Amino acid sequence: MSLKRIDMKRRLSLLALTGPNIVFICLFCAAPLAVLFSYSFYQVDFVSIIREPSWDNYIRVAENATYRGLILKALLYGIVIASLCATIAYPLALYIAKKVKVYKAALLTLLLIPLYTGDLIRIFAWRVVLGAEGVLNSLLMWLGIIHEPIWALLFSPFATIVVLTYNYLPFMVLPLWAAFEALDNSYIEAAMDLGCRNLSVFFKVVLPLTGAGLVAGFLMVFVLVVGDYLTPQLIGGSSGITVTSAIHDMFGAAFDWPTGSALAWLLLLSMALFVTLVTYAFYKSPWGRGVRGAK
Amino acid sequence: MRINGWAALRGYTFVVYGFVYLPIMLMGLFSLNSSDLIAFPLTGFTLDWYNQILHDERIFKGLLTTMSVAFPVTIITTVFGSMAALVLTRHQFKGKVAFLALLVLPFFVPKLIFAIAQVTFLNDIGIHKGLYTVWISQALIILPFVTIIIASVLFRIDKRLEEASGDLGATPWQTFCRVTLPLMKNGIMAGSFISFVLSNAEYTVSYFTSGRAQPLSVLVASDFRFNLSPSLNALAMLIVVFNILVIVVSEWFRRRGVQPE
Repeated sequence: MSLKRIDMKRRLSLLALTGPNIVFICLFCAAPLAVLFSYSFYQVDFVSIIREPSWDNYIRVAENATYRGLILKALLYGIVIASLCATIAYPLALYIAKKVKVYKAALLTLLLIPLYTGDLIRIFAWRVVLGAEGVLNSLLMWLGIIHEPIWALLFSPFATIVVLTYNYLPFMVLPLWAAFEALDNSYIEAAMDLGCRNLSVFFKVVLPLTGAGLVAGFLMVFVLVVGDYLTPQLIGGSSGITVTSAIHDMFGAAFDWPTGSALAWLLLLSMALFVTLVTYAFYKSPWGRGVRGAK
Repeated sequence: MRINGWAALRGYTFVVYGFVYLPIMLMGLFSLNSSDLIAFPLTGFTLDWYNQILHDERIFKGLLTTMSVAFPVTIITTVFGSMAALVLTRHQFKGKVAFLALLVLPFFVPKLIFAIAQVTFLNDIGIHKGLYTVWISQALIILPFVTIIIASVLFRIDKRLEEASGDLGATPWQTFCRVTLPLMKNGIMAGSFISFVLSNAEYTVSYFTSGRAQPLSVLVASDFRFNLSPSLNALAMLIVVFNILVIVVSEWFRRRGVQPE
């Protein structure tokens, strides 16, 4: 076979493998998102949609303090939960990657089981625990620690934060664990030999070399929390009004698909902007140098 | 770091794992408690709640719907995921990053926005909601997971085995059928099991794209929105135990696939 024919065959097999995936995703994910985008320029008149493009929806949403507040609240929740997950997961990933030998695989599987079981069951379990007549309140009352149930355990921002952190913790542990696995112990030993103390080894060697995993996990949790719709609704109660529930209302009860689409797209764009900014800042920072140098 | 540092980290790891499993354990405990209330003190052991669930016709119907979604979704994601994983691990080409980005796009778009985009789109092209709309939307969400699992096995397979097969005169198709496919079989099995579990667990997307036939997750959600009962505990425990079994089998396959390291 000539080289040219081999090249042709490679190209054909590449096309055969990528083609169906590209068509499938473009047709059923990218196209629906594009349709949603087009709706954001239309208007609604009572119960029918008027297809005359204008920026009106975006202007209206941007000028509305409530919507701005909801988007900011979503981004803030994303940052808070991602930071909490990072704080909890970092030592855990360090320990599993560097110290556990025999049960490493088992520990990771254990971490993934609740994740695969789905949001719904996990949220349900937390409602059982946190409810006003639930497990935790009744336990505390039975033991005589409190005399009246603490109502704020469920349907409060506190509950939302606990359950969101719980839900997305594995998405933080996995990239961090991978970063620690890739971190060569001899770097740490070399720094120690050169007279570095524990703390400076951590800040000058360990943290910079796991920085990429930290940022990856942070952004993943951020994106998932901002987009979460079920948890605030089922755990947050009246404090759980989020931008996603506002979007849902516009598509459900209010039948205002155009404004809903504009709000959805503004949320997508602000998420993308935040992720781009953090990635860029990391890439330009001294920590990012390690990533750039490796390329 | 000194030894007591590691000991502290070990204690810490136990605490976090305790936190991860505590809600599920409590759910299990109260599914066996005889009281109507899900509260302490415990009143006695019973299997009644499980008995109730196993004889609930509505639950059985929901389970049938769930299964008639899960099997097609598993087939779609396994086929498409295998293809994507092969591309990501065996081909170098321009636009690979773009391909990867497209593949994970449905995972990073908030599920609610993804779901309403689906509904708007279906409305525009005039397709009615039904089981097959759930197949497609679930498959898109689950595809990235399956691809990563299959790719994680393919990464560890020595490429020289495939090169050797080519050097010995096999056509690329023969190499694929006789060398690559048998080697990635464990990855495919693991990916399909996980796909099955994720399909069972999926709620948001199923809720929006399912028509009249409602899968189990949608039924459970509408039940517990207003009222928690010990029989729901029992149902949730059955789902968790079933999932654990499937996930353990899946991990067994996956790790067998990456053994020769």
